Amino acid sequence: MSNKDIITLLHGAGGSYMHSLIKNVFMKLNDNYGEVGLEMLDDAAVINDTVISTDSFIVRPIFFKGGDIGRLSVSGTVNDIAMMGGNPIALSLAIVMEEGFPLSDLEKIVDSIKKTAEEADVHIVTGDTKVMEKGSLDKIIINTSGIGNRPPQLDYNINTLRKNRQPSRWLVPTNLRPGDKIIVSGTIGDHEISILSSREGIGFEANVKSDVAPLNKLMLKLLEVGGIADAKDPTRGGLADLLNDWSEKSGLGIYIKEEDIPVREEVRAAVEFLGMDILELSNEGKVVLAVSPEYEKDVLEELHSDPLGKYATTIGEVRKDISGVIMETVIGGQRYVGRPIGSPVPRIC
Amino acid sequence: MKAYRILVSGIVQGVGFRPFIYRIAVKSNVYGYVKNLGGSEVEIKIIGREENIGKFFSLLFSKIPPPAKIEKILIEEDNVQDIHEFKILPSGNVVNEPSQIPPDLSICDDCLREILDPKDRRYKYPFNSCAYCGPRYSMLYKIPYDRENTAMRDFPLCDKCKAEYEDPENERRFDAQGISCPICGPKVFLSTSDGEIIQDKDPIATAAKLIEEGYILAIKGIGGFHIAANPFDDDVVIKLRERKNRPQQPFALMALSVDVIKKYAEVSQLEEELLKSLERPIVLLRKKEDSEISKYVSPYLDREGFFLYYTGLHYLLLDNLKEKISIMTSGNKHGLPMCTDEECVKTKLKGVVDYILYHNRKIVNRVDDSVIRISSGRIMFLRRSRGYAPTWIRIKRKLRKVTVAVGAELQNVGAVAFDDKVILTQYIGDTDELNTLEELEKYIKFFLNTYHLTPEVIVADKNPAYQSTRLASKLSEEYSAELVQVQHHLAHGLSAMAEYGLNDAVGIIIDGIGYGDDGNGWGGEVINIKDHGEKYSREYHLKYVPYTGGDINSLKPDRMLALFLSTFMNWNEIQNYVKLSDTELKVLEYQTRKNRLFTSSTGRFLDSISALLDICHYRTYEGEPAIKLEAFARNGKLLDFEFPIINNEIDTTAAFKWIIENGIQDKPSIAYTIQYELGKALVRAALKLNPEKIVVSGGASVNEYILKGMIENSEGVEILTQSKVPPGDGGIALGQVYYISEEK
Ligand SMILES: [Fe+3]
Ligand SMILES: [Mg+2]
Ligand SMILES: [Zn+2]
Ligand SMILES: [Zn+2]
Repeated sequence: MSNKDIITLLHGAGGSYMHSLIKNVFMKLNDNYGEVGLEMLDDAAVINDTVISTDSFIVRPIFFKGGDIGRLSVSGTVNDIAMMGGNPIALSLAIVMEEGFPLSDLEKIVDSIKKTAEEADVHIVTGDTKVMEKGSLDKIIINTSGIGNRPPQLDYNINTLRKNRQPSRWLVPTNLRPGDKIIVSGTIGDHEISILSSREGIGFEANVKSDVAPLNKLMLKLLEVGGIADAKDPTRGGLADLLNDWSEKSGLGIYIKEEDIPVREEVRAAVEFLGMDILELSNEGKVVLAVSPEYEKDVLEELHSDPLGKYATTIGEVRKDISGVIMETVIGGQRYVGRPIGSPVPRIC
Repeated sequence: MKAYRILVSGIVQGVGFRPFIYRIAVKSNVYGYVKNLGGSEVEIKIIGREENIGKFFSLLFSKIPPPAKIEKILIEEDNVQDIHEFKILPSGNVVNEPSQIPPDLSICDDCLREILDPKDRRYKYPFNSCAYCGPRYSMLYKIPYDRENTAMRDFPLCDKCKAEYEDPENERRFDAQGISCPICGPKVFLSTSDGEIIQDKDPIATAAKLIEEGYILAIKGIGGFHIAANPFDDDVVIKLRERKNRPQQPFALMALSVDVIKKYAEVSQLEEELLKSLERPIVLLRKKEDSEISKYVSPYLDREGFFLYYTGLHYLLLDNLKEKISIMTSGNKHGLPMCTDEECVKTKLKGVVDYILYHNRKIVNRVDDSVIRISSGRIMFLRRSRGYAPTWIRIKRKLRKVTVAVGAELQNVGAVAFDDKVILTQYIGDTDELNTLEELEKYIKFFLNTYHLTPEVIVADKNPAYQSTRLASKLSEEYSAELVQVQHHLAHGLSAMAEYGLNDAVGIIIDGIGYGDDGNGWGGEVINIKDHGEKYSREYHLKYVPYTGGDINSLKPDRMLALFLSTFMNWNEIQNYVKLSDTELKVLEYQTRKNRLFTSSTGRFLDSISALLDICHYRTYEGEPAIKLEAFARNGKLLDFEFPIINNEIDTTAAFKWIIENGIQDKPSIAYTIQYELGKALVRAALKLNPEKIVVSGGASVNEYILKGMIENSEGVEILTQSKVPPGDGGIALGQVYYISEEK
């Protein structure tokens, strides 16, 4: 068996390996069911105006600066529903634990789940627990699935888009039009760097907290403003994966400016050491919006009034004269932003 | 009476070849005709008495115009016809061979003499040129090389020039496309950096004065802008470094004569020939210890880049300088392509230059200066560009399909190939930069269009992170062409094999990093190559060491040093040898524990030695730590050390153990020994494969001492290095093409 015939960690890294896995293996399951179905490969699906999404969480360490696996499990699924324009209502919760897992840790996680669910105003309505033999998994895996309904704010928002396009009824990439502004709701990379620095052996001089948070309430406020063509959270694969997704699915180009991307100094320093690309860092409490230009100012204003959007800025725009994702660099050059490959590939000869 | 038909192919267009034939035919009293066969072939028919024909041939071979190159000549007896004159016939339609785009040539001695002669009508004329000299490719919109297809179309000939152009007796100007004079030709202007023109009778002399006063000037040349500055004034050089954001990378120096250069550098006969050649490359020469050139021009290096003027403008400018020499570095901001128009200078070089000396002839194609050095007596290209590109390279095999090769990524060059001809583009640059990537596409398409070709095969590197690979898949879709990917170091090896026409060879590839077939970063490889690359096996390589963090290790040699040390030392100890913060070291340690990426790179090995010897701790230009290590070894002696070869790995870590155990006293000798012994170890490994021929390629193969270690220990097996294209990534495209080639 060659390396190509087995699943490697790369296949789970949210890069091009994972995309080929989805295309070549999972798309067999697609039968184009639902208004937004598997074929869209979006954050969530829509059936009869019900939004549905699922996600499994395996973060290490399970308790990190700014959050824990419980908060992450709720936020992750809530956000996926919100990114479709849905209003999340209820979640299921499935936990798989390794034999020997401390009960006190489980209690801490469940408390955090409760707190985060309250914060997001969603309900845990069903669940499942499994325990596996020691060594057959690393501590704990949590899966959450969720459903949401169609909020009236989404109808309003979609209506505002009709002035200059024929939008889908949901927040999907095909809504993008040339001229749309790309806005991020805050600093990039906080989650990934926090996770890395919480791990054993690494302690960066400055502490970076994970941004993990449910974004559904913020999203409803933004839909009330209007002009939102699509929303997406830059989780695994970061901005690079997200923007490439948008570009591919909309058939349009995306142009961003490196100097406009908000990044904390501590994150920048950490990235220097780690040899990572800021655009590929994962986030758990950020949303990237494609906004019709006439709503740019109002959307930014609304974001700035919310603690979750305090550092929101416009980082670029959708263009039809280019293809793919292009970033203007700080030195005044331009470079293509590719999908992350999953692990750094040396390029410098 | 006898008659002959002669077919000549090579560089015979745009170099005054047909007028030359006409003149020698008339001189030797033979009749007949000369005609262009529409390609790079010229057909000549001569009829005459035997002694006259003999005279014709002796003139043909002894007096051939300097830029012309005869690649092939076919002479056959023909029937005698009743012709009593010699004629230049209009070009034929039969295209046997497509016409070759002529490269840019330096001003010839005759043209120079004219501009220095106060009585000549071209006295002080900066754009003087003739059939034998001047820009070609850089001002060419398309072929054939006729005036209306060049940037000279903006300058209609005046009556005097027209008369010269039409006079077959005028050896240098008859039918010469690029000629002009002060009345009809381009004009020179001096402006401030904002473009405000300074009224001046002699802008070139004033520009020279400004350089002497310490100002930094943009100078428009033929393939792009240079930046000129006074090389003797430390403050000026430092100012230029700051403004260009180029802290360490050496600047080239342009001089009026070899005698001027000899004041500052040692010049061998071969180097002198290169300096004076029509191609006028920058030649990296050994600095003289007592050189008065500021040490900031090429900091910590033992070589400095010199070249001679190659236009009248350069000559006049340098002649106005007291010391007849100036910094002439490419007019770009670090990482971006060189400017070719005034607009670019005004925007992109804003804040870099104080004044602009320019002219109103358009630069159609950007062509950077070529760079050459001699290592262990061999010519090595660091950059093959102006003067050489886009002259094609002929290979001993054949391409049945039109092939495009996109090269690698940094310092990149692409290629278009058909039949047995490989046209390498001029130096393109770092194609991770979008505009540069677009230039690669532009020039590839320029050659495709010029030679009326549609590609059937596109060749790229295997590295998934290269943007050139992205271009390759785009081109393959656009032309419905097959996409082929060739491993980076195989392509390096094949590039060398292409130069020598080999099908099989053992390749020693010493390089930075390329994407290996196992996903690791290769770069110190002994590869057994068979059937022009169809079969290859990697037999030996430098020991694998972790490459945690990726490209950042290329920029910080101390990280790489720590990674080498981590293979035999604990992390507490490592911190005594590397210059890294505690945090960075901790991060590195942590990352290394989960590392899945390894490298056998020669470049990274040399970088680490450079860091350990406290020679270089940060890389600001390609190869910097390794180049400085090489410079350091100048007066070193061979010490007692040898690299062990364990299984299929050359144990590079032994070098670190040896240095640490013995202490660092005689740095030059340590530096010398490591490089020499590395060459020796690689050749020892290669010899185990009983090779007939060993080819050496990869960016590190320009290293004097590694090469010496190879040559002196090859036990009589020929060590073949590259002399036609760069052994670095600028030569990759040739190897990529060779992979596709077939038996003739
Ligand atoms: Fe290379
Ligand atoms: Mg969405
Ligand atoms: Zn001339
Ligand atoms: Zn004239």
